[in-house]
Amino acid sequence: MAVVAPPSPAGAERLARLERMWEARPGVLGWLTTTDHKRIGLLYFWTTLTFFGAGGTEALIMRTQLIRPNNHLVGPSTYDEIFTMHGITMIFFFIIPMTTGAFGNYLLPLMLGARDMAFPRVNALSYWIFVSSGIFLYTSLAVGAAPNAGWFDYVPLASKAFDPGHNIDFYALGLLFNSVSSTLTAGLFIVTIFKSRAPGMSLNRLPLFCYAMLAAALGLLFALPALSADLIMLYLDRNVGTHFFDVAHGGSALLWQNLFWFFGHPEVYILIVPTFGIATSIIPAFTQRKLVAFPLVAIAELLVVFIGFGVWAHHMFATGLPTTALVFFAGATAMVVIPSTIQVFAWCMSIITGAPRFRTPLLFIGGFIFMFVTGGLSGIMFLAVPFDQQVHDTYFVIAHFHYIIFGAAVFPIFGGMYYWFPKVTGRMYFERPGQISFWVIFVGTNLLFFPMHIVGLLGMTRREYTYPSGLGWTIYNQLETVGGYVLLIGILMLLGNLVVSFFRAERAGPDPWHGPTLEWTTSSPPPPYNYPVIPVVTSAYANWDDEDRARDRRRLDTGELVLELGHEQVASRPVDGQPDEIVEMPHSSPWPILLALSMAFIFSMLLIGHDSTAGVGGILCLLVLLGWHSKEPQEA
Amino acid sequence: MTEAALPRTTKASGPAVPVIVEQRVGPPAALWGMGILIASEGTLFICLVASYFYLRFETHPWPPDGIAPPRVAIPLIMTAILVATSVPMQLAWRAAQAGRLAAARLALVCALVVQAGYLAYEIHDFQDQLNRVAVTRDAYTSAYYVLLGADHAHVALGILFDVWLLGKLARGLTTYRVNAAQAIMWYWHFVNVVTIIVIGTLLSANV
Repeated sequence: MAVVAPPSPAGAERLARLERMWEARPGVLGWLTTTDHKRIGLLYFWTTLTFFGAGGTEALIMRTQLIRPNNHLVGPSTYDEIFTMHGITMIFFFIIPMTTGAFGNYLLPLMLGARDMAFPRVNALSYWIFVSSGIFLYTSLAVGAAPNAGWFDYVPLASKAFDPGHNIDFYALGLLFNSVSSTLTAGLFIVTIFKSRAPGMSLNRLPLFCYAMLAAALGLLFALPALSADLIMLYLDRNVGTHFFDVAHGGSALLWQNLFWFFGHPEVYILIVPTFGIATSIIPAFTQRKLVAFPLVAIAELLVVFIGFGVWAHHMFATGLPTTALVFFAGATAMVVIPSTIQVFAWCMSIITGAPRFRTPLLFIGGFIFMFVTGGLSGIMFLAVPFDQQVHDTYFVIAHFHYIIFGAAVFPIFGGMYYWFPKVTGRMYFERPGQISFWVIFVGTNLLFFPMHIVGLLGMTRREYTYPSGLGWTIYNQLETVGGYVLLIGILMLLGNLVVSFFRAERAGPDPWHGPTLEWTTSSPPPPYNYPVIPVVTSAYANWDDEDRARDRRRLDTGELVLELGHEQVASRPVDGQPDEIVEMPHSSPWPILLALSMAFIFSMLLIGHDSTAGVGGILCLLVLLGWHSKEPQEA
Repeated sequence: MTEAALPRTTKASGPAVPVIVEQRVGPPAALWGMGILIASEGTLFICLVASYFYLRFETHPWPPDGIAPPRVAIPLIMTAILVATSVPMQLAWRAAQAGRLAAARLALVCALVVQAGYLAYEIHDFQDQLNRVAVTRDAYTSAYYVLLGADHAHVALGILFDVWLLGKLARGLTTYRVNAAQAIMWYWHFVNVVTIIVIGTLLSANV
């Protein structure tokens, strides 16, 4: 790392001015009204970590229940609620908001060389809606009416006739509420990526992390409406008396499944694609080489999500679809192998041909590749229709998607926590305990999920709250439960390492890894305005272009691209990334949290059937929106 | 000189002569946001229309016995009237862009009157149909009313946009308001296309 000379008096004066312009509001009010993407990212991080704790506790209750045959730690109805909440929590309230909300929010503008997101207040709104929807859904546990028909909530089980309580209403309204948040984040990311890049960052210089976020955002934007349509119909069926899913009145139970999986399968890729982005950030940093086949990997990231929209019916092979449809969807599913494999080979070749330093983040990426390939291989097996029908709804399926969702999505999240910890906190973590935590997590995960393959092939179906002895399942279940607790220990070691490091570890400096992307050029933690000078970029590995960065630093003295006169950032042209205009950025704003609260009011009233009171909430929303738009930004 | 009034530029501030950034080439943020909204809502309607046909192909006859097929002439005429408001919306934006405030307001009011009249008639008609055949009758009525109702809700949202824009234009023109006019124009083009698709879908029950 080059030694940075102190700025000239003129530069120092500009810095002081930037500090004043971008200074955060103090106290709790500052956090409630913040529009700073880094603060929102941290809020997302702590909130999703809390939900991870809840979802993990639910998982451990299930594993403890299944440790021996005929166990009655929890009864069947409680077990139903627990596995449903586990699925919903981990997917909608942990992985998606962790990867997009926390990692994406914190890192995307930094990697793009921007001072904030394109729509900072929408970003805050998205967060507050996310928290509100999470609290809304978890209220159901408190009042003893948690969703209990599985995370994919098939009708007719989820219809009023068979599930008369508020359980499924919490599900329908809670996820509808949550999908507003995800849609906002998706739109925000797309616009930010196309409009808020540093000068010179044409699309071919966009870091792969940003491509991954773009792919996930596009996936969310076009997949979520299918879920929303489905949830609206479910809500109407249950509360108004329509018959979309009611076969007795001409409806179709399969309509739910088709729409759900049209959302649900892209969703799986939305879960893992951002973590591909994390992998493509960590690998170059620890091999000190550019990633192999950059354009192919960028296209593959987008292609995974695109093909993901054409494979939904492979979740429905046991529903009696026509053979033509089975063959089509089996073929489409096989196609996913191509972009996935391109990426796996690119990651492996980068590590092999680079100079790998197996520090904790790279260990997690190694574990991730192993888990992803294992889960991918069992995934390919499902496209053989007879095999799929044989193992449908067994623990084999659970094993497969936990290898993908835990192995391929959560491992890079853990790796990313270690990797960006110095950037976010300004301190290093403890390396040796970090590596030990990886091995504990790796062993625990495999011990937890691998025996599920076997027990699934032996015929154990998912979602049974207990099982009789003498089926040969007991030993595998015991191994799984032990694995679950080993995993818990590993995760606690990870969190403990980070917490202790936050207080005790040495200072990290701006760039401890000699990382490839722009976020490593600024100080750790980054100032509210991210960069004293908007960087001018000539490659996708901007932090390795020493001359460019030296030129950036000199610009502080001349004042070019400092923009210290206002709360502003440069907007770029969509393709070539050349500066297009200077846009004024909103400072902190009370409107996002007020709008989220008004929406929470609407959904709560709908839940208890006070439709006209919900209308009052609608008027409240309109008033808040009026306030939101009362102050016009200056536009060129 | 206040801080906000300082010229905004990528070039050096201070003693150097400031140079204003040239005219923007890419679309403004307002259009990006509206594009995202349209993509999301458009996909929602694709899902609703697909659900309609999914139910239809499983049910014979369609509409089920005892329900008259939807009227053809009046919905088509009403759709044509609504779609025609794309023209004044476009004119309103053009006028705003050219700085002709009065013309922009006039075109917007014209569009708003027709759109509000359309919505008033349609709500009345919706009530009327509901009184004859309940939404809870079967899957056909469910799909019919929900699809139509979703379309009306989007018309209502567009009317709120219009009213808001008129309120803004009452206090003159700014770049922000011209961009808003363009975004709202996009929204109305979108709603009009959706209405054509929705009415076409519903009328297909006659085929």
